[in-house]
Amino acid sequence: MLPSSLAVLVTGLFLGAIALGAFIWAWRRGQFDHLEEQAHVIFDERDYRLERPWETEAEREERRRLYGEPVPPEPGEWGGAR
Amino acid sequence: MSRPGEAREPPGALSVPGAGLPLEEEVDIRLRADASSRRPVLVCFTTALFWLLLGSIAGDVSSLKLHLPDLLVRQGWLTFGRQRTVHLNAMIYGWASLAMLGVSLWIVPRLVHNTLRWPRLATAGVVVWNVGVAIGIALILAGINDGIEWLEMHRYLADPLLVVGGGMVGVTLLVTLLSRKVDHLYVSVWYMFGAFVWFPVIYVIGNWPTFHGVESGAVNWFYAHNALGLWLTAVGLGAIYYFIPKVLGRPIYSYQLSLLGFWGLAFFYSLNGMHHLVGGPIPTWMITTSIVASVLMIIPVLAVAVNHHMTMIGRFSALRYSPTLRFVVLGAIAYTAVSLQGMFTALREVNRITHFTQWTIAHSHVGVYAFVTFVLFGSMYYIMPRMVRREWPSERLIRWHFWLVLSGIAIYVIALTVVGVWQGLALIDPQVPFQRTVEIQRPGLVARSVAGLLLTAGHVVFVWHYWRMVRGPAAARELPPFYGVRPIVYTEPGGKP
Repeated sequence: MLPSSLAVLVTGLFLGAIALGAFIWAWRRGQFDHLEEQAHVIFDERDYRLERPWETEAEREERRRLYGEPVPPEPGEWGGAR
Repeated sequence: MSRPGEAREPPGALSVPGAGLPLEEEVDIRLRADASSRRPVLVCFTTALFWLLLGSIAGDVSSLKLHLPDLLVRQGWLTFGRQRTVHLNAMIYGWASLAMLGVSLWIVPRLVHNTLRWPRLATAGVVVWNVGVAIGIALILAGINDGIEWLEMHRYLADPLLVVGGGMVGVTLLVTLLSRKVDHLYVSVWYMFGAFVWFPVIYVIGNWPTFHGVESGAVNWFYAHNALGLWLTAVGLGAIYYFIPKVLGRPIYSYQLSLLGFWGLAFFYSLNGMHHLVGGPIPTWMITTSIVASVLMIIPVLAVAVNHHMTMIGRFSALRYSPTLRFVVLGAIAYTAVSLQGMFTALREVNRITHFTQWTIAHSHVGVYAFVTFVLFGSMYYIMPRMVRREWPSERLIRWHFWLVLSGIAIYVIALTVVGVWQGLALIDPQVPFQRTVEIQRPGLVARSVAGLLLTAGHVVFVWHYWRMVRGPAAARELPPFYGVRPIVYTEPGGKP
């Protein structure tokens, strides 16, 4: 019968090996490049420009300056998916 | 040069795949992704809510029995040993896991700019998972369980169905990932795929039938703690990293920190589990290793905490307007709290007081409820309008839900934490009779029952609201539920109202 301590050690090392392999893959595939830009991939233009009621006038002006005129939320749901 | 988290010029079209596409094309990608995942996501959420209600009722019965021991004692299936076990399994494998499957099935296609591949396989996998949970819980009620905490469901009749069902969902996500239209994998994708790789490994090892007696404790807690950290936590953090910036319309404070948090979890978490056995008949090196691993988790936990806080700072007023943000941000705060609490509790000198007390129950509920469940509620508030193409019908029901569950979990955690410390100090005092250590707990147990009833009431409200949304006519509402909330007017960012 396999001692439980050995099972825990082997499984822990196996999980660590998976993590190490994935890390190396990610490194070689450039997943750690251009990180400042990668933070934006979840957004589309509308996400940037959508009017948000909690923002101050200064924050709205900043958003207008960076992304263009704000758009109101459309009927249907927050974020305006159609 | 802008500071991290501040709005900045969006990347140029050539530097980020997908960026710079015409808006109509971006929306089309998103809508097709949503349409492809609609059926499996709705099946996940609907069945998850069934288990949420069942698990809540079982939890209430269990809690009441702790201070009303003569309650419901005539039927075997109503005894504490079965009801508490049903509560745990329904909440972990029914509610939390199914809701997480739904969140993953919705988020991943969006993030890889692809439709969900083989959605029927995903739906079938969810059905198989549900059958496994149903069989497991039915057998528990009949008095048949494996006797291993967090793995009570029948090893041969129920557990394989979870492995198969989860595998079917995992395969569809893998195929979707392999046919992705983007190069970079956003941090949420890493978390969710990590969860789908880690969970089957630990689940199979945890259920391996050759471990018995005291030795099985080591494997048991290796599994149970990793189920919390490499399954529930991973998907929860992946959801937080998507929904907070998405609702705010601003990127996460530091994407570098987000990756540090993920890789820290991946490398350090798996050996934490033995800290549940401090002082037990387990090799000392295993306990010490787990304590060291627990302390090393300070790196990813702080990375995540700083990231979440700095993304939100100055924008907490947004919580008044977005139910998603309310739940997700509070869930993120709970993640930091439970992680730091866990590190603290792993230390021998603290553990000698808190072990075998109500403190541990409070700690586990901060993790599974205040963190994971809150994040899942917030995720569902965001995802559901996109699935059924209409808004949540009622602001009032959202508020009722929020305040009921928030008050419930607050009472629960505070009461059991305080009582747990009293209990622990009494247990290690040889002058205190054991009977006294039991009596000390009573106020906390009553408070726990009150809290549990509040939580259940909140769940009933949420499920009713969900049902109205899915089955009712299209709401007359044209704007999101909280859009009309009177704003707190600031004269300048961070200024007084």
